[in-house]
Amino acid sequence: MKAGTSMTDSLNLTVDRRDGLAVIYTEGYINNQGGEEIARAAYKLLDEGFKVLLLNLAGTKIVNSIGISILIEIIEKMIEIEGKLGFCCLTPTIDKTFHIMGLAQYAPIFETEERAVAELAQHRG
Amino acid sequence: MPSSPSIEAEVMAAGAGAVSLPPEAWLELLALCQDESADRALLERLLDHWRVAHRADHAAVYLEREDRLELELASPAAGLAGARGLAWPQGMAWPQGMPGMPGMAGGDEGLPPSMEAAAASAAALEGADLGVVTFPGGCLLYSPRPPAVEGAAGGLGIEHGPLPLLLLSSLKILRLRQEIKDQQFQVNYRVVELESLYDVGLAVAATLDLEKLSEEILLRAVSLLDARRGALYILEGSRYRLQRTFGGDAAPWFEGGGPESESEKTPQIGETPATGETPKTPPSVRLRAFLAGESAAPPSELLPGAHYLLGVPIDIDGSPRGLLAVGDKESRRGVGPFPPSDRRTLGLFANQAAIALENARLHLQALEKERLEREMQLAADIQRRILPRGAPEVPGYELLGWNRPARQIGGDYYDLFQRQDGRVDLVVGDVSGKGMPAALMVSTLHSALHLLLDQVGVGPALLEMLNRHVFESSTSNKFITLLLAELEPASGRLTYLNAGHNPGILLHRPGNAGAAAEGAGAAAAELEVEELGASGLPIGVLSGSRFQARAVSLEPGDLLCIYSDGITEAESPADEEFGTARLLALLREHAHRPLAEVLEAIQAATGSFSAGLPQGDDQTLVLLRRRLG
Repeated sequence: MKAGTSMTDSLNLTVDRRDGLAVIYTEGYINNQGGEEIARAAYKLLDEGFKVLLLNLAGTKIVNSIGISILIEIIEKMIEIEGKLGFCCLTPTIDKTFHIMGLAQYAPIFETEERAVAELAQHRG
Repeated sequence: MPSSPSIEAEVMAAGAGAVSLPPEAWLELLALCQDESADRALLERLLDHWRVAHRADHAAVYLEREDRLELELASPAAGLAGARGLAWPQGMAWPQGMPGMPGMAGGDEGLPPSMEAAAASAAALEGADLGVVTFPGGCLLYSPRPPAVEGAAGGLGIEHGPLPLLLLSSLKILRLRQEIKDQQFQVNYRVVELESLYDVGLAVAATLDLEKLSEEILLRAVSLLDARRGALYILEGSRYRLQRTFGGDAAPWFEGGGPESESEKTPQIGETPATGETPKTPPSVRLRAFLAGESAAPPSELLPGAHYLLGVPIDIDGSPRGLLAVGDKESRRGVGPFPPSDRRTLGLFANQAAIALENARLHLQALEKERLEREMQLAADIQRRILPRGAPEVPGYELLGWNRPARQIGGDYYDLFQRQDGRVDLVVGDVSGKGMPAALMVSTLHSALHLLLDQVGVGPALLEMLNRHVFESSTSNKFITLLLAELEPASGRLTYLNAGHNPGILLHRPGNAGAAAEGAGAAAAELEVEELGASGLPIGVLSGSRFQARAVSLEPGDLLCIYSDGITEAESPADEEFGTARLLALLREHAHRPLAEVLEAIQAATGSFSAGLPQGDDQTLVLLRRRLG
């Protein structure tokens, strides 16, 4: 990135629906706005019947406390409905943050999407 | 709130007339009580029972969060979906958050400040008859409100039994769990903050890539302070240059980093209006006040469009080098100002940025030094190739040349070469100054001299052409002193031109210098000295300088010494110069010895004289002796 270049704060989401599992790809800042967008996408997938979700954060370099609290809410919701949520492709900084904040206790973190899909596939109904 | 009965009041009012639940309902509640993970399910069931007992169609519990009330659960349970944007009750859109409790911070501007007012407002808005029950840390809203019954506190008039008590207890537990969860979240996030500072510190120590470090520092500052935007500026002269920005555009440059002038000192910051945006306030004063936290008004160019800004200076040893700014602190409701504690956190990141900037600057300096040293080494190699590698063999003569630059590269030059017709040319030159500029002049001198020697030979024309060339191609303060001589070996005739150089020293063997010396003994003291003095100005001083060629004769046993002032001006620790007299004495003393030994003697004497002091100037020596017989 060149000096003086602006890094965007908006979050772009892409959803890939697969057999019993949906992958949400994020690109951008997971803050209040970004977190809400993820939550909306996740709850929509739940309404569609997906109970296993994977959040691929390869395109996200930054997450703040509001975003984390929303992710925790999504995890709680997944636990409530006996679903499963996983994360993959985290930057070292976000990986460390998720471990400290306790997200990793309830939502497994995987280095690669392939590994995550393979592991989460066991939870498909 | 006297008009809103509490659950405790309802319990008191209920007396013995409790609502009776079927045994299976109590068993279900008991089972939920015993299940630690079923707090919420218990609460939902209790709220359902409470709603039914109160003959309400809908009931909802709001809990206090920061400065507002958040919808926690609803009965029927589907109503909770209303909190996520669906209508609750059916067809009625209730707000997820309500303004704060009395005595707490108010909510969004324009909304009523109290819960009662909020409920009334909601009821008025929705046309519903809402009942409100408060409890520590929250409230319960229900609809429709039943008619007041005489004798019941607050006029609810419904038989309650233990239900309200259980509901209150469950709510307390829920609230405590939520508080613990929030506290744990804050503690964990504080750990993230500390880890982040530690990681940035490690990154600063591990890399010198300023671009990467700037991004790292800015991203971490923005995320840890829950900011929506951020920017890192570096001071260049009196302007701040944008190094990195996040979350929106920022001005690539803005003024305000210049030193505080006397005129700028006149306005008192304490007298600056709250906005700080008086047109007469200089930008640098405004910026300093903003960065010091004394004014809320930054320069308009800093994160334009942001509603709330926090900025801190990036200082190194008290000297400003840049600034770090973040904008619009996020919460679940939107954006707001940054609390005072955020200034300290941002300041810690600014300190890391300062260290990174300083490290990067020092690294660049070191790289530049290394590059210059490599270039100097290359120049020294080139210069060594310019100087002759040895002296030509001239039958009947001994010839020696020597040069030692004071630095890696020098401004002295000498050359010895024999022409095809047997004549031998000797050159000693000294370029004014030292280092690279002098070395470049030496290179110019070497090329031009060789070209001219082939074209015009040794004589005034050569030096005049050389003088014009040097005059036109060099800066005004550059000149070259030069002694150029040409020896005809057979006759011993030495023609020379001296352009402002130290006089060459010709020591005549007794009897060789004419009548005055005839009959003198062979003692060293009786050697006669003839100087090859200047016959013109140094090369490059005036464009039209004229030079004169002179000639001397080298007889068998005569010794010629041409030298640069680095030898005679070598200094002792007492600031005394070695001088021509000491050189002459050495030449006299060693005149009969091989030239290499004469050189060694001069080197030893000047070295001893300087007593280990660094060599102050380049030293060059050319010695020529006509052999006896």
